[in-house]
Amino acid sequence: MKKISVEHLARVEGNGGISATIDGKVVTDVKFSVYEGPRLVERLTIGKTPEEDVNIVPRICAICSISHKYAALRAMENAFSVKVPPKVSFFRELMHLGEMIESHSLHIYYLALPDYVGFPNAIAMASKFDLEVKIALEMKEFGNHIMKTASGRYIHGENPVIGGFGKFPSKEELIWIKSRAIQFVPFVLKTVSLFCELDYPNCPEKNTVYACCNPAQNNYGFTGDEIILSTGETINKEDYKSLTNEFVVSHSYAKHSRYRGKPYSVGALARVNNLGDRLRGEARKMYQKYFSRRWKKNPLFNNAAQALEILYAFERIPKIIDKMLKLPDPPIVKYTKKEGKGTGIVEAPRGLLIHSYEVSDGLVSHTDIITPTAQNAEDIERYCYIAAQKLLYRGDEDKIRDRMDLVVRAFDPCISCSAHMAEIKKAPAENWKTKLAEIKKKGSPIFVGVGKRNRSDDGVGIELALELRKHGAGDVWLESEIEEKETLWKNGLHRPLVFFDAVDFREKPGKVTLLPLHYIFSNSALSHRLLPFISGKINYDYLKNSYVLGIQPESIEEGKKISRPVRQSIVKVLDHIMK
Amino acid sequence: MEKVKKDKLKIGIYELTGCAGDALLILDCEKELIDIFKAADIQSFLMAKSDNIDGELDVALVEGSVSTEREKKELLDIRKRAKTVVAIGICACFGGIQAAFLDKKDWEKNFKKVYGNIKMTHTNPIQSKPINSYIKVDYYLPGCPIDKEQFLSTFNRILRGNPPELYRFPVCVECKWNENDCLLNKGIPCLGPITRAGCGSICINHNLPCVGCWGPVEEANLTSEFHLLREKGFDYDFIKKKMANFSGTGIADFLGKLKGEEK
Repeated sequence: MKKISVEHLARVEGNGGISATIDGKVVTDVKFSVYEGPRLVERLTIGKTPEEDVNIVPRICAICSISHKYAALRAMENAFSVKVPPKVSFFRELMHLGEMIESHSLHIYYLALPDYVGFPNAIAMASKFDLEVKIALEMKEFGNHIMKTASGRYIHGENPVIGGFGKFPSKEELIWIKSRAIQFVPFVLKTVSLFCELDYPNCPEKNTVYACCNPAQNNYGFTGDEIILSTGETINKEDYKSLTNEFVVSHSYAKHSRYRGKPYSVGALARVNNLGDRLRGEARKMYQKYFSRRWKKNPLFNNAAQALEILYAFERIPKIIDKMLKLPDPPIVKYTKKEGKGTGIVEAPRGLLIHSYEVSDGLVSHTDIITPTAQNAEDIERYCYIAAQKLLYRGDEDKIRDRMDLVVRAFDPCISCSAHMAEIKKAPAENWKTKLAEIKKKGSPIFVGVGKRNRSDDGVGIELALELRKHGAGDVWLESEIEEKETLWKNGLHRPLVFFDAVDFREKPGKVTLLPLHYIFSNSALSHRLLPFISGKINYDYLKNSYVLGIQPESIEEGKKISRPVRQSIVKVLDHIMK
Repeated sequence: MEKVKKDKLKIGIYELTGCAGDALLILDCEKELIDIFKAADIQSFLMAKSDNIDGELDVALVEGSVSTEREKKELLDIRKRAKTVVAIGICACFGGIQAAFLDKKDWEKNFKKVYGNIKMTHTNPIQSKPINSYIKVDYYLPGCPIDKEQFLSTFNRILRGNPPELYRFPVCVECKWNENDCLLNKGIPCLGPITRAGCGSICINHNLPCVGCWGPVEEANLTSEFHLLREKGFDYDFIKKKMANFSGTGIADFLGKLKGEEK
């Protein structure tokens, strides 16, 4: 067993690590750990007044402090049926755009870009990209300036309160922000081209489900009252738990989330994938120019999506300010309710953020906060797994560490809200005959042939099962037969289960390997359709008693026959089992 | 004139448990950032760079509270390597919001409510404490987050080998400089009198009461503030909670004494 790990992820916000465990040619485990200590923020809010809650919760995370404040305000206002005047909504949108600009430009230029141009940090990068580094700093400073104007200071400002704002900015201030925003557009256009044209490696690439807020009236934006998924489904904000299904894992102080048992992603890439069609102006032109199918399956494009969103923000700011200039400064809306339940959702720069509260007798009695990085944790692990496994096949083991680092960073994780990041560990390349003898000691195995016969070597599993059956071996089944065999699933539970299949280990064609099923279970890149078929049938205990006898295929092209080396292996395995 | 050549000071910036806001604020010193990196030899700054070295240091800036065994170990190691340790932000100075569960049993109960009985495999949790619970701290730079101007002046003085000079008075002083109306006179519960200055009385400038996020000022008259708020008609628990929100261990003694007071 070997472990490759990034103990302290650099250039991310907070304290996280990622590790991959490698066993022979197989990545057996990837863990995204949050070393950031437990802060129990949700518990800290219990017994506090709603106002105190709104003071405390932004302290979860400095980078997303505005988003936390915004989500908490929306939740509390929903709980007390407070309707804020339009000027308040516009000013809040402005402060939120400030955070997007600040956070996205910090991430793409200072945290992510050094990887792609070969520097350890942005300051070193300045030697070659002097102008970009300087203007990007100004852009980030502009985002900060908006946040300071709206909230009172760069980080953890207290100006936004339930029902409105303590103070509104002067007209001069608003006009200055507007003109400055317009000035930046040419540089932002360059930024979009730069990040959309970066050479993103195709490893890892895999589909996932994307989730984000669904802004009203078919607009692009960062708030909403329902969640929209890339599957087309929508979920009301009150039913957020049907999306998140949080659970605790032992290697992280960040809880993990799964939708229908599967990981999903949130963030700029999720928003552009789900809502990109709604972009207007220059942002729309850029979207049409650069968006491709790869954005749907490669998390590294999150950098490109963030650049696109910076452009969206800069185009949106002058419009908001024009509206604000026409409206008077409203007083803070008072509320009298002392009881209520409310949920507020917003898009933090790194994805969907949910705050949900129950207030009774004027004090918070229940708090649930779900942060974007906690939701992304499962997909971060999965994409690192895919990347690590692919690199291992190619014999590029030495690249795994850096690649995992790159993948994690692309998610722009915000570890304060949750989690640490990259390790790698290895399975011993055992002799399959010895392994089979060991398995037999546990009980007489049931064999199942899996694969597609019309796809050359992919038919090896079925072929082997049929041959075994022809030679009179006991319990041998085909994939197609076994699904209906309820009795077998019941009776077979105490006997080992061995699947025959073509498994691509990047070995010599015909090479036979016998591995525990769970080693390849979560990596569908390895064993295609095995996953959905199995997952519905067997529980975790049984999984531990299941194995895959894999044969390295030469080709899995449609319409071709089984290749010679694989055919020879079939005979070899057949002889051994019948002996 | 002949230039005096001097070795740059070796500086490390570390983040324990917290919101990373203090480290972020250092990154937010946009215009001065490049100068900071030029003026000192930044050996370690996880948030900003990947080529970090864990060696001997002249100055370590530590943000966040100690909340896991791993962080405790890391902190002890930092102290061994550094000549001077500066606590930055209220989490490092007083334990921060996460130190509001001062009682160990209370903390354990709440930990269980969130994480259940799960046994952590990566690092064990411990009740959140400020860094001076484990090591000697040379200077404190409070704030939630720290203030840019104060950070730059502190950094500058340390680079020149001078001790930092921080405000040793409450927010009220800055509030008067800004010519704000006193909110306490209007019956609004403001923690300005007991909170350390440095933020520029930012909340009161926005017509909002001070929430105490910089922690208590030295020699704060907590009893007087407590009785003042009582006179204004606020109840015992409300005041106690409000004062404790951000103060962590900073007002633990006071809260202990309060137990004798009548409700």
